Amino acid sequence: MSIQVEPTQPQQPVVLKDLNTENPRWCVGCGDFGIIMGLKRFIVERQLQPAATVNVSGIGCSGRAPNYFNTYGVHAIHGRPITVALGLALTRPDLNLFVHAGDGDALSIGGNHLMHGINKNFKCVFLLYDNELYALTKNQTSPTTRKDHVTNTQPQGSFLQPINPLTVALGLGASFVASTADWIPDHLTSTMKTAFDHPGFAFVHISQRCPHFDPANFDHKSSAWFSFLKHDKGIAPDRRIAPKTTVVEHDPSNLAAAFKIASEGHRYFGLFYQNTAKPRYDQILRDLVARAEQKPRSKILDHYLI
Amino acid sequence: MSVEKRSVTRFELLMDAGFGAQKAGDILLQAFVGMGKYVYVEPMIPAEISPPARTRPALSGVIIRLADFDVTNIGNDTDFILASHEMVLDTRLDDGEYNSSCRILLDMGDREANPDSYEMVLKRCTREGLSVIPFDVDQPSQALVKELGGKGQNLYYLGMLSYIYNMDEEIVKGEIQKTFGKKLKEDIFAKNMALFHNGYQLAKEKVFFTFQVESTPRQGEKILIDGNTALSMGIIDAGIKLFAGYPITPASSIMHTLAKMFPSYGGMVHQAEDEIAAIGTVIGSYYGGVPSVTCTSGPGLSLKQEFIGYAQVAEIPVILIDAQRSGPSTGMPTKTEQSDLPAVIFGSHGDYTKVVISVANVIDCFYAPHMARYLAEKLRLPVFIMSDFQTANSYKVITKPQVVEMDNVEDIPDFILDRFHMNRLPKDIEMVHTSQAVPGTEGGMRRVTGLNTDAKGQVNYFSGTNQRSHQVRNEKVHHVRRALVKPEMFGPDSGDLLVVGWGSARGAIEEAMSLCKKQGIKAAGMHLRVVYPLPLILKDIFARYKKIVTVEVAYGDALKPSPLAMLLRCETLFDVQSMIAEATGRPIRPKIIVNRVKETLSCQSR
Repeated sequence: MSIQVEPTQPQQPVVLKDLNTENPRWCVGCGDFGIIMGLKRFIVERQLQPAATVNVSGIGCSGRAPNYFNTYGVHAIHGRPITVALGLALTRPDLNLFVHAGDGDALSIGGNHLMHGINKNFKCVFLLYDNELYALTKNQTSPTTRKDHVTNTQPQGSFLQPINPLTVALGLGASFVASTADWIPDHLTSTMKTAFDHPGFAFVHISQRCPHFDPANFDHKSSAWFSFLKHDKGIAPDRRIAPKTTVVEHDPSNLAAAFKIASEGHRYFGLFYQNTAKPRYDQILRDLVARAEQKPRSKILDHYLI
Repeated sequence: MSVEKRSVTRFELLMDAGFGAQKAGDILLQAFVGMGKYVYVEPMIPAEISPPARTRPALSGVIIRLADFDVTNIGNDTDFILASHEMVLDTRLDDGEYNSSCRILLDMGDREANPDSYEMVLKRCTREGLSVIPFDVDQPSQALVKELGGKGQNLYYLGMLSYIYNMDEEIVKGEIQKTFGKKLKEDIFAKNMALFHNGYQLAKEKVFFTFQVESTPRQGEKILIDGNTALSMGIIDAGIKLFAGYPITPASSIMHTLAKMFPSYGGMVHQAEDEIAAIGTVIGSYYGGVPSVTCTSGPGLSLKQEFIGYAQVAEIPVILIDAQRSGPSTGMPTKTEQSDLPAVIFGSHGDYTKVVISVANVIDCFYAPHMARYLAEKLRLPVFIMSDFQTANSYKVITKPQVVEMDNVEDIPDFILDRFHMNRLPKDIEMVHTSQAVPGTEGGMRRVTGLNTDAKGQVNYFSGTNQRSHQVRNEKVHHVRRALVKPEMFGPDSGDLLVVGWGSARGAIEEAMSLCKKQGIKAAGMHLRVVYPLPLILKDIFARYKKIVTVEVAYGDALKPSPLAMLLRCETLFDVQSMIAEATGRPIRPKIIVNRVKETLSCQSR
């Protein structure tokens, strides 16, 4: 096995169709189409090399995403994409790393890894596809399912108040917390762009429609029920939709304000918080190697001579 | 005054945990080795850090086997015990690993406060025919121990042992200097030295026997190393660049060693948030083309199983070290066992392809990472290195192994393959996925998944494609089956009985077979370093013996074969029986093997 990668040849510009593989096997109207299109648009806009790009995912409808990008990809096991992504972030800092996880994947079975991924702050864009239920396994309650919503596992109506992914991320000390929606393409792509430029673990929450199991959720035809965040250092409100809804000024360096708006119950799309100074675990480990006095392996056993 | 000349002898120092019994053992060991003697050391460690003193769980100590020849295992029975009080002695006697003529030096310091307990244990010793030599630490030394806050008694005992084993006082002092000279303040160091000297003097006055083991000057460079350290060095020498693990006894010390040393050899140590994360990170690194390894013990192995199964389907190499401890569940974390074999062979769900290699001693530990990397990268399958508590923690002096500095697995030297009784694998091995391009390779973009795929890597649920994936994965393991040659054997090529073991059982089997030979018993031994798959030649070898039995530190009984016996039965259809299948947490002893061999043969002839 070798990790010697051939020197990059002068490239033809990357266009959208270069990034396609097979037709995604998602339901008609699924929000996942919008999300992967948003990421593909960003890849093209930024001209990221497909050969230097890796999508890593867990299990669920969102887990299939890497299969639909003609880049490198790891469709891993349920709840654990962050752990696999970290292996790449530590040893292959030359790659562009995107992690795709659903609400069940990230907040339920993989909750522990989310906590530590955020804390380790290693360089990746983390996309949380939040459709507020388990879909691929056919309509069960997830950590973000709204209370009283009927599912196959809680037919009496979901029992608990949902977990709020944004306050969870902020509370864990995330260095980057943004929120967007699958049906607002320009805002989605701008969010990917800001997230990609963030030096650390960029937590991107995406409200995602599931027309098959929960068509009533996320009324994408009206805009009054959500607002955009706006700031010079933030993500610009969507030009097409912003005029139809409210726009709120929010400084993404203000953590207390970020908590406040994230806790309100009203949905905001935009940049909640960003701290570019938080140390990165991947960088720390690589620096240890870079700073250590390099020794020859030939003398490795001489430490134990008697 | 008697000087007893021995070719081989075994003794123990027993104390409460946290009082430095192992440290004293280490110093003694260094001194022995410096004098050209052969030693094998097994520390006895409680699972807790500091259990309450003078309770049974507090027993901590060191067993040292000393010989004028190269010893491969911890041996049979103890000839001599030095115990700091009656409770540790009573606890250890329960293991029944002492000689009928075993002598015991018992510190009577606690007798005044515990007269009944002392009396009971002394009576027990009399009943079991053991001679106890009581002694008291002299008054000035007791005062010194008090000044040192209760510490330093280990140095006193070290002094006694040094006299009893005919050590030059100055040589041992030199070793103490090496160990503590830089760490302790001058006055504290002086007090420890005084305690050592006083112990030496006490033994000189009160003990009327010493043991003498001849020294044989040895050629070549020697190293003193334990199993986990040897594995750590092997990881570095094998060209692995990332270690990911989660703390678990008895695997943790690999992570400790690498945490200190790996960066100087271009390697990273990642302490993961859990066992699952550790293997996930290894998979990520290996997908990126960077060799990586994780290590664990039983409970962690169970947690890692889903990812292990995933790796074989995604065709991402994985190296996993399992330092086995006594199970099931949390079991006995600081006791040895070989019962994870079914979990690694059958563990993950669905048809499950993997290669399992085992280590018998510290030299194997050093080369196992090379072998595992070779197999994992050639086959793109999970490869296990099976160690256990005993091998992980036991120290031994060995001739310094040849360092390989491996980068490309195709460059693995023949002597390593020979060590694992395997031929080189074919150059090209078919994969489920035609492309195995590493990220960064232009035009090689590919996705891996745990779903079934066709040869192009496209998700596919069709019957023929799935069957092909199985065939290709299993063919990889068949390549190993075909490459495996005759395993290591001890004794005659045919006969009445063949005793088979794996991993750490090797030393005891080898020694038992040499004892059998001396006694004219027609038994042979076999040791398997690669435990899965098994060599195709195995059936032919088995056919040359009237009976095949296993020796394992794992549970089995008349109705349930122990793990290795079960595996051999189902793979060979020979009526393999478990001859020793005991999950006592104690290593297998050569003498017990010989006794059972005799019993087995006499049953057969009846």
